[in-house]
Amino acid sequence: MDKIEVTLYVNNKKETLQVDPTERLLDTLRNRLKLTSVKEGCDVGECGACTVILNGEAVHSCLVLTAQVDGYEIFTTEGLEVNGKLDPLQQSFIDHQAVQCGFCTPGMLMSAKALLNKNPNPSREEIKTAIEGNLCRCTGYQQIVEAIESVTQDKKG
Amino acid sequence: MIEYDFLTAKDVDAALEYLHKYESIKVIAGGTDLLVDIHKESSRLEKFDYILDISNIKALQFIDETEDSVELGPLCTHTMLINSKIINKYFPFLVTAAKSIGSTQIRNRGTVGGNISNASPAADLIPPLMALNAEIELSSVNGRRLIPLDNYIVGPYKTSKNHDELVTKILIPKVDENYRFSFQKIGRRRALNIARLNLAVAAKINKKDLKIEDIRIVPGSATPFPVRFKNIEMEILNKKSNELNLEELAKKIGDEMVNITGERWSTPYKKPALGAIFKKAIIEITNSSDSDSH
Repeated sequence: MDKIEVTLYVNNKKETLQVDPTERLLDTLRNRLKLTSVKEGCDVGECGACTVILNGEAVHSCLVLTAQVDGYEIFTTEGLEVNGKLDPLQQSFIDHQAVQCGFCTPGMLMSAKALLNKNPNPSREEIKTAIEGNLCRCTGYQQIVEAIESVTQDKKG
Repeated sequence: MIEYDFLTAKDVDAALEYLHKYESIKVIAGGTDLLVDIHKESSRLEKFDYILDISNIKALQFIDETEDSVELGPLCTHTMLINSKIINKYFPFLVTAAKSIGSTQIRNRGTVGGNISNASPAADLIPPLMALNAEIELSSVNGRRLIPLDNYIVGPYKTSKNHDELVTKILIPKVDENYRFSFQKIGRRRALNIARLNLAVAAKINKKDLKIEDIRIVPGSATPFPVRFKNIEMEILNKKSNELNLEELAKKIGDEMVNITGERWSTPYKKPALGAIFKKAIIEITNSSDSDSH
């Protein structure tokens, strides 16, 4: 198995790596770049814990081979905090008690962020659709939906 | 662990060269099915030595309209279908089907070509595309051929694609304005569900006398691979939409499924369930046709 050289732009930082053909984006982000907000859950695209934003779209990093995304921009939860200040979305999750065990939270934040980047004023239905691929076994989703809703343009204005 | 070497192609010619050169090669696009099979070391995955990544071939990602057809690049994602003005205008039930697939993450990454070529009995785009008489363009270094989707899907997870061929286009003939469509699906939950049953119906209803001049019925997850239920189509053809005996037809479509599959563990559930979504589809189609004529 020959290694492949890829360049990734992760949270606006350029990373050039030699990867195995079998290496998933999830493995690269967690094991090599130590971005452990990206959680390994089901490994088959059902739980959404490994969600990252890939060239603007929320995707499962367990279902992408790193070799496929040479030159892509990748955004993880580590990229939300700027100069020690939490993203409004992160703060809202805390304020709405939308975090319990926390395992689903980074994936949930990524799905929500990808939605808000495209549509700063989504409806409650659109929020639900955006996070329908992120499973949470503790909060019951209500607080999560409310946390996202409160940072939409309408609610902020 | 499954081992392989990784090949990547930036254009169609390069991909076809690889497919010509190596026999034991697996094409990857969105990877939403393939990487699950690799992770689970699925028994239906044939042995391969190479993975060929085509996901970055920009020329295979398009939705174009010609005078008499709509052409899809195989690398269109489900999200692209959902957002496409062309698809919403001509084939809204394809949008309904695409919306029902997986989750936002899967729809952002999974492709039309992959959904068709993986040939899962539960694939959500195959029934509506079959009901639209879609054709698949297959390319190799030796040229191109166009085959009907009905002939492309030949078994569960099996297509008639040769190992050196690549899907380069999905061609959907336009239909006249008297066609109505319905897509129905039953899953265990609303999001992320794999269809327990789905169903696509396309019908041409004459506005004046309500006569059904054409009908195409394709259930999914009901038979080993999606096929048109032509016996049921014959029952309906040339009848008036307001004179159909829906109860009788619902029973017949269930019987037809059992004729194909035989009695299975799921039959007591699927038989009435298929009948029920079929009734729903016909009512949806005839209602939309009625409202247009007023």
